[in-house]
Amino acid sequence: MISFTLNDETVTTDDTPDTPLLWVIRDTFKLKGSKYGCGAGLCGACTMHVDGVAMRTCVLPVAAVAGKSITTIEGLGTPDNLHPLQAAWIEHNVPQCGYCQSGQIMSAAAMLATNAAPSADDVDQAMSGNICRCGCYPRIKKAILATADKTDLATEVKA
Amino acid sequence: MSQYTTLTRRHFLKSSSIAGGGLVVGFSLIGCGDTPPALSSAEGTMAPNAFLQISSDNHFTFYCPRDEMGQGASTGLATLIAEELDVAPWHFDVQWAGVHPDYNNPDFGVQGTGGSTSLKAHYEQLRQVGANTRAVIIEAAAGLLGVNASQLSTDDGHVISGSKRLPYGDFVNAAALLQAPEQAPLKPPHGFKYIGKDFSRIDAMAKATGTAEFGIDVDIENLHHAVVKRCPVAGGTVATYDATAALAVAGVSDVVEIGSGIAVVAQKYWAAKKGLQALEVQWQMPKLASVSTADVKRDYQAALGVADDQALIGSEAGDLEQGFAEADHIVEGEYWAPYLAHAPMEPMNAIVRIENGEADVWTGSQGVGAAQGLVARYAGLAKENVRSHNTYLGGAFGRRGTLTHVIEATQVAVATGKPIQVLWSREDDLQSGVYRPASLMQVKAGVTDEGKITAWQATRVGGNISPETMANMMPALLPTAVGDGTIDWVVGLADSAFKGWVVDGSSVEGLAEDYDTGSHQVRHTTVDHGLPLTFWRSVGHSYTAFAKETAIDELAARADIDPVAFRLKNLTQNPRLQNVVRLAGEHMQQMQVAPGRALGFAAHHSFATDVAEIAEVSVSDGKIHVHRVVCVVDCGIAVNPDVVRAQMEGAVMYGLTAALHGNLELEKGQVVESNFHNYPILRMDEAPEVEVIIVDSGTSPTGVGEPGLPPIAPAVANAVFAATGQRLRSLPLQLA
Repeated sequence: MISFTLNDETVTTDDTPDTPLLWVIRDTFKLKGSKYGCGAGLCGACTMHVDGVAMRTCVLPVAAVAGKSITTIEGLGTPDNLHPLQAAWIEHNVPQCGYCQSGQIMSAAAMLATNAAPSADDVDQAMSGNICRCGCYPRIKKAILATADKTDLATEVKA
Repeated sequence: MSQYTTLTRRHFLKSSSIAGGGLVVGFSLIGCGDTPPALSSAEGTMAPNAFLQISSDNHFTFYCPRDEMGQGASTGLATLIAEELDVAPWHFDVQWAGVHPDYNNPDFGVQGTGGSTSLKAHYEQLRQVGANTRAVIIEAAAGLLGVNASQLSTDDGHVISGSKRLPYGDFVNAAALLQAPEQAPLKPPHGFKYIGKDFSRIDAMAKATGTAEFGIDVDIENLHHAVVKRCPVAGGTVATYDATAALAVAGVSDVVEIGSGIAVVAQKYWAAKKGLQALEVQWQMPKLASVSTADVKRDYQAALGVADDQALIGSEAGDLEQGFAEADHIVEGEYWAPYLAHAPMEPMNAIVRIENGEADVWTGSQGVGAAQGLVARYAGLAKENVRSHNTYLGGAFGRRGTLTHVIEATQVAVATGKPIQVLWSREDDLQSGVYRPASLMQVKAGVTDEGKITAWQATRVGGNISPETMANMMPALLPTAVGDGTIDWVVGLADSAFKGWVVDGSSVEGLAEDYDTGSHQVRHTTVDHGLPLTFWRSVGHSYTAFAKETAIDELAARADIDPVAFRLKNLTQNPRLQNVVRLAGEHMQQMQVAPGRALGFAAHHSFATDVAEIAEVSVSDGKIHVHRVVCVVDCGIAVNPDVVRAQMEGAVMYGLTAALHGNLELEKGQVVESNFHNYPILRMDEAPEVEVIIVDSGTSPTGVGEPGLPPIAPAVANAVFAATGQRLRSLPLQLA
């Protein structure tokens, strides 16, 4: 049995310790916002926060997060209580197919939590682990920089 | 967003939770051959047609007939109805339509999404649906309010009567009893409130919050997960297998042989995956197992060499011999485009549940009807007993028109008696998929000193997608009674036809149509090694535009004429493309180009849309860097301009991945590339700025999802030539 905190609630699973966190979250806890894209930590669709750090959870065994705090896209913000990045995503019409966007937003939120005023290059560096096959990159970048520019919001950005 | 699907509209509406049956005001739908019978009235709800349901609490549901793969069809189509119904598009609750002839694509005659057709095909139809419905609501309101209909107006789902603002919902019961007009007048374009205006996509909220439901996210009671080991070479079959070790893995419930290989089933995905790793399978290898990329290239080259005698003629006009005689310069080049995978971010998946002689299938596909047909065929059920549920598609690009995963899920469900979700891994996607055909093309063209093209001979060697598309679609669309043998025979006939006496249009589209060429000839030789092929974003144009627009640049250089001026001079028969080239050329002259960078130009007509692109490129450390792209597009009326801009941006990125990285290698019939480490996708640090200029147009919409792609590879290649003098004729582009 492995316990951890999932979106501010303590949870316990009897999934085998080698099960990647992504599948524990999707199959056991039924939170479907985090996506499977490559299974090899190459595309970022599965990105969640582990103690505030963006991690590729398709290659992260659940045993490695025992006692840690996990935030998924569902814990970052909801339609009724959007994270500033999610609001910017809508305002800038970022998503196309939308499949990678949870991972994109989680990577961006983790970056803004440690770098509230990133340069365009900082954004490139932080976001280049996330693939968007629809090619929404210019809009993703614009949405992140716009969020960071709203200084009143930047202080509210949580990891 | 999942929507229950049935065979008859009557059942369909019942299942849409309309208490006491639905109401339909019968009127025929433009483009729909099969008008369903009028349904009985439901208290509190009006469903005047297959697309729309309005409740008495003023809730608007739109049954979206096309699939949403990111191209924005759900926003665009909702906007068409919304404009004439006079309801803001963002107030619609969008549901995916089930299988019914009313939802057929007017351009295809079947319920499929592709070919950049959605807005073009439904533009008249859905506006008419909105207008007719608004008219009958006004008529009902006039009756209830005791005023003349001409005294009433509407605004965002409300009837305006003097100072009163009354929701449409107040009138749906009365409207349900009236006969709606069939041809209520449509607004003139200058009266549009929503068409042509920017607003956020109606799926943006769901997609920014992780709440959008994709096929992979669907969950049903007792769902079991299946993964499949397939022959590493396409077309191979199982010789022997040993399930012992796989069955010993904790959680694995079943190991079954199906058409494509061996499936391992477990209650959780990870257990199935571990079971698969323990599985031992020996394969019976197909002929393709002797083929590597070098063989493909050698065979294509040989076919090009004998093209004069053996090629089929696709099209020709004028006197080619005389055209070459009139030329001052003759340019000849060979162009290579490799096999490519689509690699949508959501790997293929499908859920099939078979219970009590009925089945349900959930999958995000480009053909909800095809999914139904495949389940029916492989489960041995009548189509009427299969409900097909669509979801959001996590990217498609043509890939989700081939539904092998639906067949697999059906076969596993039949074999195990369990509800099954089949999920492909990324490795499965790249190595067991269907591919953009490789192509070797040759262009030989003549030009005068004045820059007039006098002769244009273009040849393409490669496989054809049409027989394979038929092989995919026929089992899905034909009645189950038509046996596999008959289908194989028909597909074989088509295959022979395209090899022997008629050119598959999708293999050569775009090679010779755009310019005034004086004389031209398009030739084709089919050489197909058996790797499964299908349409890939922009289909034949994805490679023909590269050959054509590079050759045009070569001709301009040979005639010593500016590439834009050269194009303008030779586009007199194609005014809309000429206009796009002119606008892009004017823009190009204003561009401030940083030192060390160069501009390249390309233009192409595809899917009834005209696009010109300018790429700003530099070369350093042996690498090509694309800094900025300008895209000028004429797609008729841009129903949602920001969606059009996004599609152009996305097509540029998709095309740049192909231009700079895209390559699949065959080694003894096996695709070498397995995941994103060796099939790299453009990432943010490589992505250029993209500026999109939409030509102001009053004509009906044309294609948007694909036409932005074809010009980008040649624009970059032509910029590399401007920067370095190197003429790159092979994709992906690599500096010498």
